[in-house]
Amino acid sequence: MSVPLADIRRCFQGVIPSIIATADKTGLPNVVYVSQVYFVDDRHVALSCQFFSKTRRNLDENPVACAEVMDPVTLQSYRLRLKFLRSERSGPLFETMSLRIDAIASHTGMAGVFRLIAADVFEVVRAEMVTGFLTEAPVDVPAGASLEGMRTEMRGLQWVSERINRAVGLEALLSSVLEALEEYFNFSHTSVLLHDEANHRLTTMASRGYGASGIGAEVAIGEGLIGTVARERRLLRLTSLDADLRYGRAIRREAAEGSHALQAEIPLPGLPDAQSVLAIPLTIGDRLVGVIAAEDRDPMRFSEWHEAYLDILANQIALGIDRMIERGDEPADSPAPAEPATAAPSSAAPRRCTRRLTYYRQDDAIFVDDEYLIRNIPAKILWKVLGESMRTGRTEFSNREMRVDPSLGLPPVKDNLESRLILLRHRLQEKCPDLQIVSTGRGRFALRAEAAIEMTER
Amino acid sequence: MNHTRLQRCLEPGLSILVGTADPAGVPSCCRGIAIESHDAFETLTVYLPVATSQETIHNLATTKQMAVVATHPRDNFATQFKGVTLEARLARDDEAELVRVKLEALADVLDRIGVPRRTTRTVAHWPAFAVTLRVEHVFDQTPGPNAGSRVR
Repeated sequence: MSVPLADIRRCFQGVIPSIIATADKTGLPNVVYVSQVYFVDDRHVALSCQFFSKTRRNLDENPVACAEVMDPVTLQSYRLRLKFLRSERSGPLFETMSLRIDAIASHTGMAGVFRLIAADVFEVVRAEMVTGFLTEAPVDVPAGASLEGMRTEMRGLQWVSERINRAVGLEALLSSVLEALEEYFNFSHTSVLLHDEANHRLTTMASRGYGASGIGAEVAIGEGLIGTVARERRLLRLTSLDADLRYGRAIRREAAEGSHALQAEIPLPGLPDAQSVLAIPLTIGDRLVGVIAAEDRDPMRFSEWHEAYLDILANQIALGIDRMIERGDEPADSPAPAEPATAAPSSAAPRRCTRRLTYYRQDDAIFVDDEYLIRNIPAKILWKVLGESMRTGRTEFSNREMRVDPSLGLPPVKDNLESRLILLRHRLQEKCPDLQIVSTGRGRFALRAEAAIEMTER
Repeated sequence: MNHTRLQRCLEPGLSILVGTADPAGVPSCCRGIAIESHDAFETLTVYLPVATSQETIHNLATTKQMAVVATHPRDNFATQFKGVTLEARLARDDEAELVRVKLEALADVLDRIGVPRRTTRTVAHWPAFAVTLRVEHVFDQTPGPNAGSRVR
């Protein structure tokens, strides 16, 4: 029974590995698993060429193949009669297929070893259902978004846009976005990481579903799933993450027996048992602002619809973040705002204990009572305001004075000062709650200490 | 000869793939249910569901050449056997239990990696063809730089 390719798109999500059979010029068959069969259009698919040298040689000699793909929900099997057309080693198709493989390779410490050699493009001469494969008729599961679902998503888009537009600060903007994703799409494990151009890393600035410990987690550009998305500036949707990681680890194990030098595997941030991931770069033009990521235990959680939808949202979020970063400073002629009631002077509160803060200059890191607190520019900012406060008793500071202090090492443009202060505030809340950075108005903040502070520099 | 590799091909919970080609060299594939060997893989017998292997049997009747891959789904450890068909017959009633047990073991393994056991059990497995192959070559098929290297 012939079926249109578009009707079996679930088979191309990579949840269940597909198989491909080829034959050499003498007719000797070869059959292997293939890590990715990519739906190109209604008449074409592309297969990932990584290690299958025999498959590759066979296709050069005899350019026909037979692939079997399987629906991950029903297990219904389909055979594709294929005619090999060409190998693509660059271009949009290659880059899209390569991103998934690069991300898994990076995550399993196999960057550069486990990679896409080519995207082999085939004409699908015929796609047919393997009749009799199942003893029971598969349950019909509707594919795609229903009209009702689309209405909800349109409403969600409107709601998020509104929140982004109204957000008074970066922190409010990020938390609104993640709240909307949970409310409208049940994305319960999400995070936003912002790009720090100064150290080429992404720092988690907001998260939902992981507890407070996710804030401040860092990923280097190019490392792991999220780092790869940031480097390539391309959206990544992974289903059946567990199967992909098993595949990557099998290669790692095999390669480890050879002479390749392997990096340590990077722990997956977030859910330890995530089965699907959707990571979207936040960009303005070519400039990377950050990455928004969602993950789930359901391997089929994120569909193509989510991919397109969140891509639109990502553009709005990127613009919103950029706007917040731009307007972090107070206007030059504005007076210092009145002290808000919540930011009471620390001297008014009884000091209960002593906090010992140690700054390790070589690492640009601050430890509080021997526990890691923060590093890099936020650490320098904290050390500066603490020192100033200890020397002069001053507790009020402005963003502008941070920006003009060359010792902090802030980049001259797009310095992300706002996000660094948010990170500092969160880390203090988590690790040293009796020392606080409190916003006292646009472009201003105050230091609040409910404990005696002991400063040591090493 | 890698004895451990061949021993692993007799373990339960394997995923079996079969490739053939017609006289014009047009390839075909199907999934098997079980493999057995009692002579250290000088020969092996692969069990194919009758419902889904008609084309494979048709090809074997004319070309006799066959490729069989046995894979452990949990770690992707895989071995490919290639050779010539010695016999293709309908599996006997006394082989039904072996086929059922192998499918059940695969269902257990797949269940652990996210495919529900009840779904795997709906895959047709009986009646089956039993195809015996004289093994001429054995290849390492585990994904990685050694994939495709000959081990026998």
